[in-house]
Amino acid sequence: MFLNPWSLALCLLSAISVFLIGVACKTAVRVIRHWDPAADNQGQIALESEIWLSSTLVQYGLGFQIVSLLLYVLAADHFSQMLSGAMCATGSLLANEYGLPLLMVKIAGMFLYGLWIVLHQLDISSEEYPLVRLKYIFLLLVSPLVLVDTALLVLYLGGLKPDIITSCCAVIFDEGQGGMVQNLLGGQDDQGSLFLYYGWMAFLFGAGIAAWWRQKISLYIVYGLAMAAFFVLALNTLIAVLSSYIYAMPFHNCPFCMLKREYGYIGFLIYLPLFMTVFSGVTPMLIQPCQAKAVLAGTVAKLQRKLIVVSVAALAVYAVLSSYHYIVYTVMGGEG
Amino acid sequence: MREFSEKHLNILDYALSSLWRRKGKNLSVFLVFTFVIFLLASFQFLTRSLLDAAQATLRQTPEITIQYMVAGRQESIPVSYAAKIKDVFGVRKVTARVWGYKFNEVTGSNITVMALAHFPRLDQEVLAEGRFGAKGEKGWAVIGQGVLDDLGLGSRRSFSFFRPDLTLKPFTVSGVFGPESNILTYDLVITGIDDGRDLFGMEATLATDLLVEVVNPLEIATVARKISKALPGTRVVTRPQILKTYEAVFSWRSGFAAICLLSALAAFIILAWDKASGMSPEERREISILKILGWQTPDVLMIRFWESFALALVAFGCGTILAYVHIGYFQALLFRSVMMGWSVLRPGLSFVPVVSFGDLFLLFSLAVLPYLAATVIPAWRCASVATDSALRG
Amino acid sequence: MLVELENIIKIYNQGQVNEVMALDRVNLTVAKGAMVCLKGPSGSGKSTLLSIIGCIYPPTSGRAVIAGTQLARLPDRFLTIHRRQTIGFIFQHFNILPKLSVLENIMLPLMPLGISPGKRRAMAEPLLERFGIDHRRNFPAGEISGGELQRVAIARALINAPPIIIADEPTAHLDSELSKEFLRSMRQLKGEGKTIIIASHDPLVTDDGGVDMIYAVRDGRVSQDVS
Repeated sequence: MFLNPWSLALCLLSAISVFLIGVACKTAVRVIRHWDPAADNQGQIALESEIWLSSTLVQYGLGFQIVSLLLYVLAADHFSQMLSGAMCATGSLLANEYGLPLLMVKIAGMFLYGLWIVLHQLDISSEEYPLVRLKYIFLLLVSPLVLVDTALLVLYLGGLKPDIITSCCAVIFDEGQGGMVQNLLGGQDDQGSLFLYYGWMAFLFGAGIAAWWRQKISLYIVYGLAMAAFFVLALNTLIAVLSSYIYAMPFHNCPFCMLKREYGYIGFLIYLPLFMTVFSGVTPMLIQPCQAKAVLAGTVAKLQRKLIVVSVAALAVYAVLSSYHYIVYTVMGGEG
Repeated sequence: MREFSEKHLNILDYALSSLWRRKGKNLSVFLVFTFVIFLLASFQFLTRSLLDAAQATLRQTPEITIQYMVAGRQESIPVSYAAKIKDVFGVRKVTARVWGYKFNEVTGSNITVMALAHFPRLDQEVLAEGRFGAKGEKGWAVIGQGVLDDLGLGSRRSFSFFRPDLTLKPFTVSGVFGPESNILTYDLVITGIDDGRDLFGMEATLATDLLVEVVNPLEIATVARKISKALPGTRVVTRPQILKTYEAVFSWRSGFAAICLLSALAAFIILAWDKASGMSPEERREISILKILGWQTPDVLMIRFWESFALALVAFGCGTILAYVHIGYFQALLFRSVMMGWSVLRPGLSFVPVVSFGDLFLLFSLAVLPYLAATVIPAWRCASVATDSALRG
Repeated sequence: MLVELENIIKIYNQGQVNEVMALDRVNLTVAKGAMVCLKGPSGSGKSTLLSIIGCIYPPTSGRAVIAGTQLARLPDRFLTIHRRQTIGFIFQHFNILPKLSVLENIMLPLMPLGISPGKRRAMAEPLLERFGIDHRRNFPAGEISGGELQRVAIARALINAPPIIIADEPTAHLDSELSKEFLRSMRQLKGEGKTIIIASHDPLVTDDGGVDMIYAVRDGRVSQDVS
């Protein structure tokens, strides 16, 4: 299903991302091969200049990845109006085996490009550019993701078959599985899930504050790992439990409909702090090895503390916003 | 954080003043960009407007339609099938419908004639004048605006159609559909089922199709599946399927147009790249001066980014507003024929442009982002001007 | 010493066919608060020497310490940061941006520093008053007189309160009156503790009483000028 504006926009963005990251990789290869800080020749000067190009391209790549993620979700919602059995974006993503993996690749891309930008900022904070080779090796390792993204996109769009009335058949291709609502996740014990969810959040608050206070490597690692696990837990709880309170429908468990106007675009206010808290919670752990470079020790330590503060603050915002509808329902007995 | 935001505000300030200082150079890019966005946005708004109009009126269609198929083609369905359908759990009502086309040799148009025993969804407010026929009343017809003009009735309120045996069947116009329902009723004549059978020479035991109403709209698909099992030789079409088909067709047409416009977008991107790459000696000198005065390469890159972004944003705003005016006030003058089909009787549809966040975001992604991507490498080349070139005078 | 250059070599296009040695084992020192003149014909390496002292690019080899910072192999980013804190430039043609106002031109070095507009104006006000161009603050710089342009250039060089002022052929396109006025300003700044380095072969400059030392630059080499 390529012949519609949404598919064209997604393909165009994908092609542009491949181009941007491709050019950045060209710089990566040149830097890895020829970087010599002691040299004072045209080549080295050109490389130093190209670093700015590559960092700008990766920043653009990150921006495009975020836009393309949102566009993908909106497009899936649009496609649901053409696909049999699909009530909303979730249905579209489940229409073939490539929809969900594509979503996950896009989310992963966002985090990885973001991490590269953090590494870049650390690198340029020191006169010696101590991380230059590491960050470009990292870029080369991460860049195939943009090709995977494009391939999955093409396979996904190619595999979508709009439900057009055919001339002969009476068959209705309803994969609704017993209803018009399709869910990513099955039923879960609400109380148990929420207990785990809020308990984990409480643990994260404690661990975050401890990490900020004591600034110990072990605490950063604990916080980072707990945050990574929380990402999965949060999405699970949001989809399986909390979303139905947002929609005021017990069997509507869609992670995407909350981004729509009908629900006051509340999804943006929930997902944004969630991504922020996870990214800024995991990054201190990931950049810890950079402390091994003596010139960066102080800068890394400062950045880790700042990120923990951002992470805990974003977690608080997320906790309030994701729980709002549940609390309104439980305490006030529903809306209106 | 504060310093970071102040720095960016300062650079934005400089970028906007730079854009204004070089308005001559940027004007051509701005105008072309606005035009490209205008074209893309017009198609998007028009598609959405048509779709909304179609969906609003398609909600009047029956939930399930049963057609009898022989050798892959539709034939008249025995009315006795209704009894089997009524047995299916979840069916509320089954109505027989007779419909077909009458060709007007004079104008070369096809008029759709539809005959029902009851009119479950259509109410009096749909009519601009008159009424539907009463139960048992014969020879009445409610016609669409297009039929009124096509048959050249003027103020007359009676007409005749030929039966298959070339005898004339007279009708009295008891009502005329209002223009709001034009998309469905423009070329439509509605009459009682007996008059319909009489006109098409159909036996009383037959109908063109059977319309099914269900008790629970969420169960349309389930009921349809049961009906198709009970009546294997039939084609069962549901309202959601019709809606999705319309969505697909409009989407296809819009996508086709978008492909054509993508070539315009590509040409614009090349223009943008070219303009961004060209640097006058004065610009080169300015960058060199800035760099000697302490601006870094990423700062200069940021100037170029904000220039591009500001220009793109203003062009986007102008283009979408112009598109809105084009659709809303000029009724899509430039594109009607692409989206409206090629029938002789085209409904006089009034477009109301519908602007949603999703559509704007889509347009932004299609137009603004490629432009920003096209200007990044030329911007870097510009920012890489040798710092000391201003020293050499 | 505010400027210490020891065995400075600068080679352009190293290793290529068009390789050029612009500076050949240059030794030069400038004390804090001194006014120094670099004299030499075009192609002598004077501009290159200015660029190194001005922290525009580092030397190929040798020891260059400007205001306490070693330049050798500093990446461009850090050179720029050091330059904007340390050096005030006055260009040959002043290089004022004609379409920006006088005030905007003076504040230009402050913009990438994240300083708010109010604070920037507060830093520029005293300079506008000092150099008597307050009444021209909102005029496009392209519409003011040559003398006023000169004063704008000096004000811009001073906005960041740098310890070193570098002037490249500042009097090349000025009449003698304006040249004398310029030298008066430089002597005043010297009196305030600024270190002044002027590249010029104008006798008005080389013969000025405020100049402590003249260096002759020829074929990439520097020597004290005792003539």
